[in-house]
Amino acid sequence: MNSGGNVATGQLQCESISKSFDGVEALRDVTINFPAYGVVAVIGPNGAGKTTLINVLSGFTRPDSGSVWLNGLEITDWLPYKIARQGVVRTFQDVRIASEMSVLDNVMLACAHPRSTAWFSDLIPNTIRAREQVIRRSAEEALRFAQLHDELSRRAGDLSYGQRKLLTLACCFASGAGTLLLDEPIAGVYPEMALQIATVLREMSKCGKHIVFIEHDIACVRRLADEVIVLAEGKVIARGETAEVLARHEVMEAYLD
Amino acid sequence: MDYVLHILVMMLIYSILSVSLDLAVGHTGLVSLAHASFYGVGAYASAILCGLMGFSFWVGISAGIVVAALMSVGLSIMSLRLSEDYFAIGTFSFGLVVSSVLTNWLSVTRGPFGIPGVPPPIIFGWTVRSQVGYLVAGATVLAMAVIVVRHFSSHQFGRVIHCIREDEVLAQSFGKNTLSFKVTVFALGACFAAVAGSLYAHYISFVDPTSFSINESILILSIVIVGGPASRFGPIIGAILLVGVPEVLRFAGLPFSVAADLRQILYGGVLVGIVLFRPQGIAGNYEFRR
Amino acid sequence: MSIGVQLVANGIVAGSAYSLLGISFGLIYSTARFFHFAYGGIYTAAAYAAYLTFVVLHLPFGLSLALAVTCAACLGVLCQTMVYQPLRRRGSGPASLLVASLGLFVVMQSVVSLGFGDATRVLRSGGLGSVAVFGALITPIQIAVIVTNLVMCAVVWLAVQFTRIGRATRAVADDVELSRIAGVNVERVIVIVFAVGSALAAVAAILASLDTDMRPTMGFEALLMGVVAAVIGGTGSIPGAFVGGMFLGLAQQIGVWRLPTAWQDAIAFCLLILCLIFRPQGVFGLPLRRTRI
Repeated sequence: MNSGGNVATGQLQCESISKSFDGVEALRDVTINFPAYGVVAVIGPNGAGKTTLINVLSGFTRPDSGSVWLNGLEITDWLPYKIARQGVVRTFQDVRIASEMSVLDNVMLACAHPRSTAWFSDLIPNTIRAREQVIRRSAEEALRFAQLHDELSRRAGDLSYGQRKLLTLACCFASGAGTLLLDEPIAGVYPEMALQIATVLREMSKCGKHIVFIEHDIACVRRLADEVIVLAEGKVIARGETAEVLARHEVMEAYLD
Repeated sequence: MDYVLHILVMMLIYSILSVSLDLAVGHTGLVSLAHASFYGVGAYASAILCGLMGFSFWVGISAGIVVAALMSVGLSIMSLRLSEDYFAIGTFSFGLVVSSVLTNWLSVTRGPFGIPGVPPPIIFGWTVRSQVGYLVAGATVLAMAVIVVRHFSSHQFGRVIHCIREDEVLAQSFGKNTLSFKVTVFALGACFAAVAGSLYAHYISFVDPTSFSINESILILSIVIVGGPASRFGPIIGAILLVGVPEVLRFAGLPFSVAADLRQILYGGVLVGIVLFRPQGIAGNYEFRR
Repeated sequence: MSIGVQLVANGIVAGSAYSLLGISFGLIYSTARFFHFAYGGIYTAAAYAAYLTFVVLHLPFGLSLALAVTCAACLGVLCQTMVYQPLRRRGSGPASLLVASLGLFVVMQSVVSLGFGDATRVLRSGGLGSVAVFGALITPIQIAVIVTNLVMCAVVWLAVQFTRIGRATRAVADDVELSRIAGVNVERVIVIVFAVGSALAAVAAILASLDTDMRPTMGFEALLMGVVAAVIGGTGSIPGAFVGGMFLGLAQQIGVWRLPTAWQDAIAFCLLILCLIFRPQGVFGLPLRRTRI
């Protein structure tokens, strides 16, 4: 299966990240070295700082202190779009899509803008048509992968909640990014859809994508993740192989608090 | 007959203005109240360079385009820091500043006295003197504007700006440098507005600041909204309506100022009516949502 | 040296008016969350309503004042309930609200122009002598303008700080969704804010008409100053708008000292643009709502 992209997976790491909002500490001195492959789950009680972590890694939030690195390059102050172009793409907790556009357009949008060799090549109809073909093909493939190909011409806003989540995954896949930061890709959908999404995630991982996802459903985490990172009150309290970490006493305590 | 041709020329000019504004407003969702500023810059560039200093038409129009495009970068910078409604205010004050400059910089623009005697343009050896000539020139520019807007609202560029219209953050998350798209959109709009200004200056052969006030910007925005944002012919239909219908009132036999006020009331009423009852405009299919 | 004092005096007269404009406009913006351009139309309508009742119908001044203020409040409420509220309920964005308010403004201004003509009018019934205060010439009317404006600013601030409706207003200004959850009747608060904001605009309009000439375009100019004062000071903040208005009044006077009068307005707009670029939340304002991720 085509990996749907040509950007290599990257070595993502953050060092001593701290971030406060209005005096509330969302992240406290967080240092994580993400593996270059595989599926990592980030879990923790509400307010633990998980979404903030993704925001910092993807450049949407600037940390108060600390640094973020990608493939040995410091990306802490980089604008989000630059980081995305380097192969780190993310989804949002509130499942953002371009509702007024069609499903296909949403995914085509996510594809990388082909690099022009000459500035005027954008004006030559043949070049445009050729590029559109390439992008369309990648998009359709991504939609097939996410099992949404039947809905291609539908208005994205008309999709069900679960289908929207699949759409965001198709977009991530089509973008060609090697590292995907997913904010609650499965939460809130009915069981059959949850299974469908989990399957898509597993397939993406098999294609070589490095996935970091936030989730609350422990069973889901157990099935999908190779590694688990536990955040509580802005700090990393546990990290390691899934089964082992989930059995730990302090992890269960953090959730019960 | 002269009168009818005059109205047609003005409709063409306003069509060019509204079609070019629509790329920013309708397709990218950036409500700008500064469009008349670029219109004015184009008009004054032609008036000063051709009328006062005797340069050729091409010099005047090129200067207008370049200055307008550079100024449009100011709008892009503002859009970086400001959310939707603040951005509108920013463009509003931009328009007011330019209007003020045109009115008060007497040494360059001759202020309220205006610049008379703008000569007819000589385009490829043809001296455009008659109204029909301006109709042809105007229609050509309008066709170019429509084609350009259509190009930039299609394919990947179009997808990105339509996404910016709905959710700029989403576009950024897929690696799109949204600022560069906005700069392009504003620059294109400003260039065509400047060309329209140049046409206006040569056609009327007199420019003065009152034709490029903030009210003009409001009128052009209204044409886009009423005609239908993000539609191929919506802005043109809007221009025909908002330029043509008020003219009809001239013939109602009312005293001048009464007719002018009634025109304004009608125009304001239509604006509110369209937004309330047909928000996508007459020919449009996009509605501005929260 | 008396030039300096005169400039300061003029600055305070203008500034006190701008402060009231800024506060009332800012109040409406911070709760309704869009730039209600029709504010300018209501301002004009109020001034001319006072003209109608006081000069044309010869009603007592107090009654005229009350009628004009009520008329303005009603217009404000009508705008909100007949136009903005339905648009909002439909989910229309700020762009639509802005355009609708522009339309309303144009209609109001033109109706006034139709009814009263474009010639300048005057609300005061005769000339009044000037008084010298600290070496600056100032008319009793201008003193009244300053005092009334300042008193109204203080009253609004106190009301917002200490009354129940004032607290509700602040809650809505801070976070609409949260205040709705906390049980605040947001729609009612917004209607009240429109009524009060418009009433304050009417007071400012009548004061201005007592001091200088009235024209149908007066609302537009007042609106501009109100917007500039509110943005510079910070739209969520009443003391901010006050400071913004005063600063604007003084800055204009100082500018006029060095530059031709015509540039007065350009100064205001440049200040606005600079403020928007470098500090969009204004001097005292809360950080602007950024897209929450």
